[in-house]
Amino acid sequence: MISVRRFRAPLAALLLLPLLAACGGTSAPQEEPAGSPAKGGSLVFGVNTEPLNLDPHASPQDVTGLFTRPVLDSLVALDDKGDIHPWLASSWEISDDGLTYTFKLRTGVKFSDGTPFDAAAVKTNLDHIVDPATKSQLAAAAFGPYEKSTVVDPQTIEVKFKEAYSPFLAALATAYFGIQSPKQLALGPEALAKKVVGTGPFVIDAFVPHQGITYHRNPDYDWAPAIAKHTGPAYLERLEFKVIVEDAVRLGALTSGQIDAIAGVPPVNVKQVEANPKLTIIRKQAPGGNYNYYPNNEKGVFTDQKVRQAFRDGIDFATVVDKLYFGAFDPAFSAISPATAGYDKATETQWKYDPEGAARLLDEADWSAKDAEGYRTKDGQRLTVRWPFLKALAREQRGTLAEQVQAEAKKAGFDIQFVDVTPNDFTPKALAGDYDLIDFSWQRADGDALRNLFAISNIPNPNFFGQNLARWNDPEVDGWLTDALRTTDLAERAALYAKVQQKANADASIVPVYVFTYLLGASKNVQDITFEPQAFPTFYDAWVSKA
Amino acid sequence: MIRRILTRLSTSILVLWGAVTVSFTALHLTPGNVVDVLIGSNIVTPEVRAQIIADYGLDEPLFVQYATYLGRVLRGDLGRSYQLHEPVASAIGAQLGPSLQLAGASLLVAIVVSTTLAILTARRRPWIRGLSSGLELIGVSIPTFWTAILLLTIFSFQLGWFPAVGADGFAALVLPVIAVALPITTMLTQMMREGLELTLEQPFVLTARTRGMSDLGVRLRHALRHVLVPTVTLIGWLVGLTVGAMVAVEQIFSRQGIGQLTLTAVGGKDLPVVMGVVLLTAVLYVVVNIVIDLLYLLIDPRLRGAT
Repeated sequence: MISVRRFRAPLAALLLLPLLAACGGTSAPQEEPAGSPAKGGSLVFGVNTEPLNLDPHASPQDVTGLFTRPVLDSLVALDDKGDIHPWLASSWEISDDGLTYTFKLRTGVKFSDGTPFDAAAVKTNLDHIVDPATKSQLAAAAFGPYEKSTVVDPQTIEVKFKEAYSPFLAALATAYFGIQSPKQLALGPEALAKKVVGTGPFVIDAFVPHQGITYHRNPDYDWAPAIAKHTGPAYLERLEFKVIVEDAVRLGALTSGQIDAIAGVPPVNVKQVEANPKLTIIRKQAPGGNYNYYPNNEKGVFTDQKVRQAFRDGIDFATVVDKLYFGAFDPAFSAISPATAGYDKATETQWKYDPEGAARLLDEADWSAKDAEGYRTKDGQRLTVRWPFLKALAREQRGTLAEQVQAEAKKAGFDIQFVDVTPNDFTPKALAGDYDLIDFSWQRADGDALRNLFAISNIPNPNFFGQNLARWNDPEVDGWLTDALRTTDLAERAALYAKVQQKANADASIVPVYVFTYLLGASKNVQDITFEPQAFPTFYDAWVSKA
Repeated sequence: MIRRILTRLSTSILVLWGAVTVSFTALHLTPGNVVDVLIGSNIVTPEVRAQIIADYGLDEPLFVQYATYLGRVLRGDLGRSYQLHEPVASAIGAQLGPSLQLAGASLLVAIVVSTTLAILTARRRPWIRGLSSGLELIGVSIPTFWTAILLLTIFSFQLGWFPAVGADGFAALVLPVIAVALPITTMLTQMMREGLELTLEQPFVLTARTRGMSDLGVRLRHALRHVLVPTVTLIGWLVGLTVGAMVAVEQIFSRQGIGQLTLTAVGGKDLPVVMGVVLLTAVLYVVVNIVIDLLYLLIDPRLRGAT
């Protein structure tokens, strides 16, 4: 019987795991590691997803940016406020017509394979991005109306556009425009999919699919961007990302001290991690399009502005989000997140939960009758919202969220019908506009994300997958978005983006739901993990205190 | 004997051809455009799109794509993966080792443990049998996913005996092997014990005993051989179960392997990899069945004469 009892103890412990961790505070609280960063040591970071292809010029996955940022530097660096700083380019000039960018490059920079960094290397990189053979799925699109680049002299490069394109520098600052060694680029897509070589603070040792990636420090590194906390080589001797897809396993590996930090702490476990004296949560709101619901403005019940607004105002989204995510994610009020350059704070008071107002709007829109089940009707037709929901790919309990919204919508008189779709039949439906409501988030560190979401030219059709799934066709908004492309002045752009956000809310052309927040769980021994503007962690400044 | 082997080989080839054809057809009949799945929800220029179509031959008629694929398979070329940027054969090759290691170790553990348990518990006192079959029932009914999480929580997170993830050395193999071996072991034990109990009632067992053989000797030398034929049949079946369990286990323990490869490929509609894996599974079944047939001959001399 002893063996049975011994078995039972850990079993009980398992069931009480959240409680146990919450009670863990009896041990002496750990000293905050003091002041100066320790050099050396290694850091293991557990990630929840992995890139299929390491080449950020080709891959569209945000996780590719995470995996390659330690290795790749960019020409410029972007800070949280949307300002651009020198990095591999020491200075730059933009012609008055906004068509030509001239970069002066930093001298004395070397790729980790020994190749010197110069204007020819930059040209090779930019041309590699737009080369159809690269099959770029993100970087080429973010390059906009790029025409060509010209090597002026070894330290000067000129980049020309067909039309003014103000988001260029912000795009250039991302890892998707990371500068790779021309020697590695020449090896072709297969080699790049497994290994990239850059000028960055770390060098890839090995990338093993389904397991992770290991890096060692680049001892020659001496060209950190001005916005970094230190200069010279990275503090960490070794860096490793381990792929751990299961939430419970990733969390367990962190709480049992097997790894130093993890990505994607499930919102339900945030309090548990925070209660653990050895652990901490680092938060970072993602920039770009929030997780929004996109009503079909083009056909169906949501062509009527009043019905759209009644849907948005008649459901208490803020409370549903707060309850479901235990306060880990903020409710959204605009199409884009507060972390996006150009976010308009005034949107936060522009609309609110207003069930009476919503009921009035439905009356005005002739959806005044109610059927036996309490749903609104018009000419005997029920107010039905068809929503193709991709359960298979839903992250962050979006499925549960959708079900709660469905229940709330019923109170407001809407009958939400989920259309069960697989990834295969989702795409044609989305392209053809065969839906009343659709949901997605769109991360991008620039207010130009609004153009992805709202430009008329981004309304999808069977031959083109754009992000304007609201199918919002507003020439005035389109004009503002185009104007914003023509100015690099941040304040001017912000003013234009504010108009777009305000009008999107006034028109109820979309329904903001929540702001995705990166929840990173880390041991308190780990210091100074910083974030890219795209909201993924970077490790150049990170160090581990020897506890 | 030779005729038998030839028949076996030709049916095997038919099975393989059928597997390729069925999977190719099924995948192409599912709605959705391959190019769109490749692109995902991103903006690409029409040139990039055209390049993808040209590179992958997606503008060819379906039967041309099929004929090309069959021809390539015959030459041992499984095609290229759209998403992994490498030949399917090398993608599978890279994942095969860890999977074989896990599957082999699990089957070995399952066979050794279940044989031992069955021999020790057959025709014993009711409480021993009861305890054993109770545990077996639990073992069969717990989903592998749950077993894996339970093992991790107890032996890795709480006790810290084994690492939670990775494939570094023996320690990292222990928990995954237990998780995969558990349902196989319990099924095998149940079947073998039942078989042993039936055999132990046979008159020849009594004869052996009267010759003064020990109880263990009877069980090992006489009874066990009779149980082996149905056991080998069951193991053949259980290979399928093992592959299924490995998909979950590889995922949870972040191990490399065919299961992970398949999950990613199916999710991403990576046709060449999916078809490569289907073919590999078909080969595995064919090989396992041939091995089982040969084992029958080895175990039961009476079958050797019958052709």
